[in-house]
Amino acid sequence: MDLLNQIIRQPVDPDYAVVAARGDEPVRGRWVLALLAVIIGALFAVAALQTTRAAPALKSERSELINRVQNAEREQDELRVRLTSLSGEIATLRAAALGDDDASGVLETRIEALDPVVGNAPVSGPGVLIVVDDSPSATADARDRVLDIDLQVLANGLWQADAEAISINGHRLSSLTAIRSAGDAITVDFRSLTRPYRVEAIGDPRTLQAQFVESPAGAWWNDLAQNRRMRYEISDVKQLDLAADPGMVLRHAGKATS
Amino acid sequence: MIPLLGLLAGIVVGIVLEPSIPQVLQPYLPIAIVAAMDALFGAFRAYLEGTFTDRVFVVSFISNVLIAAAIVFVGDQIGVGSQLATAVVVVLGIRIFTNAAAIRRALFHA
Repeated sequence: MDLLNQIIRQPVDPDYAVVAARGDEPVRGRWVLALLAVIIGALFAVAALQTTRAAPALKSERSELINRVQNAEREQDELRVRLTSLSGEIATLRAAALGDDDASGVLETRIEALDPVVGNAPVSGPGVLIVVDDSPSATADARDRVLDIDLQVLANGLWQADAEAISINGHRLSSLTAIRSAGDAITVDFRSLTRPYRVEAIGDPRTLQAQFVESPAGAWWNDLAQNRRMRYEISDVKQLDLAADPGMVLRHAGKATS
Repeated sequence: MIPLLGLLAGIVVGIVLEPSIPQVLQPYLPIAIVAAMDALFGAFRAYLEGTFTDRVFVVSFISNVLIAAAIVFVGDQIGVGSQLATAVVVVLGIRIFTNAAAIRRALFHA
């Protein structure tokens, strides 16, 4: 406080008083004063010019970046569409290659049974919709925000409650899907989500919701909703359509031993 | 009168000539301007009190600008540049406000 008081008490350079008290100041050096005034004025002008000049440059840089991101996203979507059509082609070719003998029939039944489970095929049916979101005071306290671990717990709770297929904001989860945070956003399959988070799960409509609420994940989210005031709404839905996980790729192939 | 004319001439010169500040010195320009404003207000107050001296003004201006820039420079080197810049702006800002209040009292008796 003493420092601040000192600043307020003595805002003028004390040398002015000292030299004035001496009283022997000759009138000279006017041109130095003028020069200094010119320099100060030029400083003002240059700084103001630079700031106004830099503003549009920064703005265009920003919009350029946004453009690039949007282009990349569009390209990604196109690639995804292509991937879906190619997967369809693979399925047709596989069916043609397998032929229609007994062993192939067994293989095809297995593929048909496993595809929806691993997330390789679109599924539809009754299930639950869980909408979660940051609490209204999230800007004040970072702990009031939904974290990646909260969504992980939610998804695992749904698997535990015998959900057959889960998607978060339209991204289908498979056993290989990563839910993690990158910067401020939560990513699923390395694509960032925007709030609120809509978790859709297909499962037995009679037991799915009850089992989820009783699971540790249900308790976890109850706690978050009550103590952190996060949004947490569960509702039954008669018909859900979940797309296939486009991230599924063939990693391992072997010759059929028949 | 001379300083006022010089100030205006400087602004015109700056706008017309648009001298480019070296990239290295650019971060210190705003701080230098705040220090210059402090020196200007201090000088004007001294002028109103009848104690103004050219030489003190020149010396105080140059040393203010250099010290302010040096503080920020050292801060940049040790990683607290923006905080030290804030400190300089706060201290000089307080002085500017105090001097401005004194000038107002002297000019308008209010």
